[in-house]
Amino acid sequence: MDKLMHDLKVQIIAQLNLQDLTPEDIGDDQPLFVEGLGLDSIDALELIVLLQQQYKIKLSSAEEGPKVFRSVKTIAEYITEHKPKV
Amino acid sequence: MMMENKVYICSTGIISPQANFGKKEDFALASEYTGSSLHCIEPDYKSILDPKLIRRMSRIIRMGAAAALECMVHSEVQQPDGIITGTAYGCVEDTVSFLTKMVENKEELLTPTAFIQSTHNTVGSQIALLLKCHQYNNTFVQRGFSFEHALMDALLLLNENEAKTILVGGIDELNETSEAILKRFGLYRTNQNNLQLLTTSGKGSMAGEGASFFLLSSESSSGNIACLDDLKMLFDPNEETDVVQWIHYCLSENNLTWEQIDLVITGRNGNQQGDLIYDKLEFSIAKKTRFAYFKHLCGEYPTASSFGMWMAVSSIRENKIPFTVTSKTQSGTIRKVLLYNHDQNGHHSLMLFSAC
Repeated sequence: MDKLMHDLKVQIIAQLNLQDLTPEDIGDDQPLFVEGLGLDSIDALELIVLLQQQYKIKLSSAEEGPKVFRSVKTIAEYITEHKPKV
Repeated sequence: MMMENKVYICSTGIISPQANFGKKEDFALASEYTGSSLHCIEPDYKSILDPKLIRRMSRIIRMGAAAALECMVHSEVQQPDGIITGTAYGCVEDTVSFLTKMVENKEELLTPTAFIQSTHNTVGSQIALLLKCHQYNNTFVQRGFSFEHALMDALLLLNENEAKTILVGGIDELNETSEAILKRFGLYRTNQNNLQLLTTSGKGSMAGEGASFFLLSSESSSGNIACLDDLKMLFDPNEETDVVQWIHYCLSENNLTWEQIDLVITGRNGNQQGDLIYDKLEFSIAKKTRFAYFKHLCGEYPTASSFGMWMAVSSIRENKIPFTVTSKTQSGTIRKVLLYNHDQNGHHSLMLFSAC
């Protein structure tokens, strides 16, 4: 789980071009949107694409978004739960 | 277009291949480039733009936004009544990024940012967001007339009292992909020094880019730099002599003689064929006025006339020609300036400026 969260932080920084941040700057439980990292709805779309590209996971419904993308930890938990079995 | 009311240029903001961003004077030393292109000297955007916004801005958006904000900083106006931009190529970097991902990902899993930011009006809209300006906002994409049409729109709004102040700018960027594509047309030389571009005539010029913004106003103020007295365009003339005659006609329409023009700035770019028109114009008025050039400083691009406009306005403000390399053009006051430029022999424009 720790490695997955670290990988996710690296991928989020790259995908969203968060130039001044390092993975260490993003807390596992830190909110990603609004008061936390300050991400917005365009970033949410980028994160959906990231999940599909890197982990082959599609969100089953749009309503899941706020819950799944609340923090790096919640994304990692969703990936672990939904990762396609090889 | 003859103006019924005076149009004043209140301030300028520019990012170009010369070190003129954030400066109001001291344009003594021209930057030197060797190769086929000139690229902008960019400021540290973090001190100008919100870092949270920068991350989503491609280079042309940063350049345009920073130049526009710089222009507003130097004016007494808090917010313009309109924002008008002209760009021929638009946001090339975002377009390339979007199209590359489209090919690589086989038209699936496309990320939204590059697509959203790839439209030509992104720069104008980002400036509006930064200034919180909910007024008129328009972008003109008309090849070599993109900046001129933006300027024309601003002049019409000011003349018809639809606006009192308009922020108008010309922006185009050059990147690896666009330069490679444009090179195929044989437009640029290789291994050329920009400071010798105009003295070594041959085939092709050097590519360039830039973002130049101007705050125009219909109201007189002690801080105004210059007046824009006329703007005219001529598309696709039959012969060079038609153009020269047109320029003479435009001048007489303004009740001016060549002796009254202190400086003629032309878009000479070293390309032998395109420079023929400038040769003919200079030959016809050589003894009556003096000349200056700007494309060895900014390179050739469709909205390069906006750099020419900055040069004309700066010449009036400083009473000397910025970055000039010849001494004979340095003497005498500069109160009336004519800017003539053409893009690819098709889009010809003329702007007349005077001291306020």
